[in-house]
Amino acid sequence: MKFMILTYGSQQDYDEMAGKPGDRAAWSAEDFAALGTFMHKLNSELVESGELVETRGLSAPVHTRRVGLRDGATVVTDGPYAESQEVLAGYWVLECESFDRATEIAARLSDCPAPEHVRVRAFADVRPIDEHQPDSGA
Amino acid sequence: MIGDNARPSVEDLLRRLAPEVLGALVRRYGNFGLAEDAVQEAMLAASSQWPADGIPESPRGWLISVASRRLVDLLRSERARRDREAMVAQWVMADQDLFASPGQEASGGDDTLVLLFMCCHPALSPASQISLTLRAVGGLTTREIARSFLVSEETMTRRITRAKDSIAASHLPFRMPSAEQRPDRHAAVLHTLYLIFNEGYAATTGPVLQRVELSAEAIRLTRMLQRLVPDDTEVAGLLALMLLTDARRTARTAPDGSLIAMADQDRGLWDTKLIAVGVRLVTDAMTRGPVGPYQLQAAIAALHDEAPDFASTDWPQILALYNALLGLGENPVLRLNHAVALAMVHGPLPVSSNSRSFSATAGSPAIIACTPSEATC
Repeated sequence: MKFMILTYGSQQDYDEMAGKPGDRAAWSAEDFAALGTFMHKLNSELVESGELVETRGLSAPVHTRRVGLRDGATVVTDGPYAESQEVLAGYWVLECESFDRATEIAARLSDCPAPEHVRVRAFADVRPIDEHQPDSGA
Repeated sequence: MIGDNARPSVEDLLRRLAPEVLGALVRRYGNFGLAEDAVQEAMLAASSQWPADGIPESPRGWLISVASRRLVDLLRSERARRDREAMVAQWVMADQDLFASPGQEASGGDDTLVLLFMCCHPALSPASQISLTLRAVGGLTTREIARSFLVSEETMTRRITRAKDSIAASHLPFRMPSAEQRPDRHAAVLHTLYLIFNEGYAATTGPVLQRVELSAEAIRLTRMLQRLVPDDTEVAGLLALMLLTDARRTARTAPDGSLIAMADQDRGLWDTKLIAVGVRLVTDAMTRGPVGPYQLQAAIAALHDEAPDFASTDWPQILALYNALLGLGENPVLRLNHAVALAMVHGPLPVSSNSRSFSATAGSPAIIACTPSEATC
């Protein structure tokens, strides 16, 4: 069955990862390289075990466009998020045997190297993907 | 950047990559105005770092990632300003079929074409089209463009900012114009390139050494366009016209900077190689497809260039070509040149009456849209 792991970050987090200090310290190039190595290893193992369907990281929140309706017209809002608002930053879609197995995989993310102030706040959500919906007709 | 002959390879590479990098950024992140600023800054960083550190393995990738990072900064400061001023960045989607597929493959070449169409959008004034094309597609800095038009950098900054604001306000999607818009938009692109060339060709005063060679830049951009749309005979015609006109460059100015009329030019100074290329281009174009004004003007230039001396110019054929051109539309310089050709074939009287009506309109804005006067230089 399919599960999704979701991770979150604010524009501030993205900036710090890119090496720009804000209210908190920025990531060093070594921090960032260590993150890359960790993710690569994790994903390779998930490919190896046949559990990885897809994983993606999203561009900085500042690039978001929000599309909605106002007075019947389709309105687009550029960059709708506040600077410190945490929004979806990346996800994994997994095919695994149980919610518990998906949770185990998500728990490995807590080993992800990062500056201490990031590690203490970091979290991931695991959510089962509905697979038994009536056909949407698509 | 320009004029720094010590490192032409880095500059050439950067200017060639500029539209591709900008295209990639706008396609991915939207926001043409800020993306354009971000690319300029990335190019600036490259032009100071690459000569010292060497050209990176993937110059295009390097520029895209540096420009992307810079774009995030620019977007953030724009949002901060927006928050301070309690503005909301909202726009209404144009009323169109939202499910129609744009139906195109993305490639660097396509991006360059789309950028050209954007910069030459009919909503912009010709001066804005020219400035924006030189910056966004040509990769020139505002200072370089300002110098080449002999205006202050502030004036040019305002002009380019206004142009970018108009494009932002129009919410033009980043894609090829629709099939029915295509001919008009295409004509606007050719006209802009033509104006850039003429601006360079007509400029005979000013601190020449500091100025970007506008005609050389127009030729470079038109050549690039011709590579992107090799089947378009008018693009080939325009390129031929530029080459055939440029071939006479060194012969048309005296050491004191004054203009030398074509009749008095030392034809030994004409660039025979350029003439050969131009003649081949226009001959090939005219046999291939629909004949338009640029091919006709190129054919006229070719006849001038091929005459061993002024007296043996093939005036009857030139007159026939001017008649064909007048059939496509009029403008004062065209009328003057037609009158000159008429005089060369039938005697001088019609010239004086026609040139009087020409000088009466010489101050009109239409004058900038005209061919470099074949009659005088």
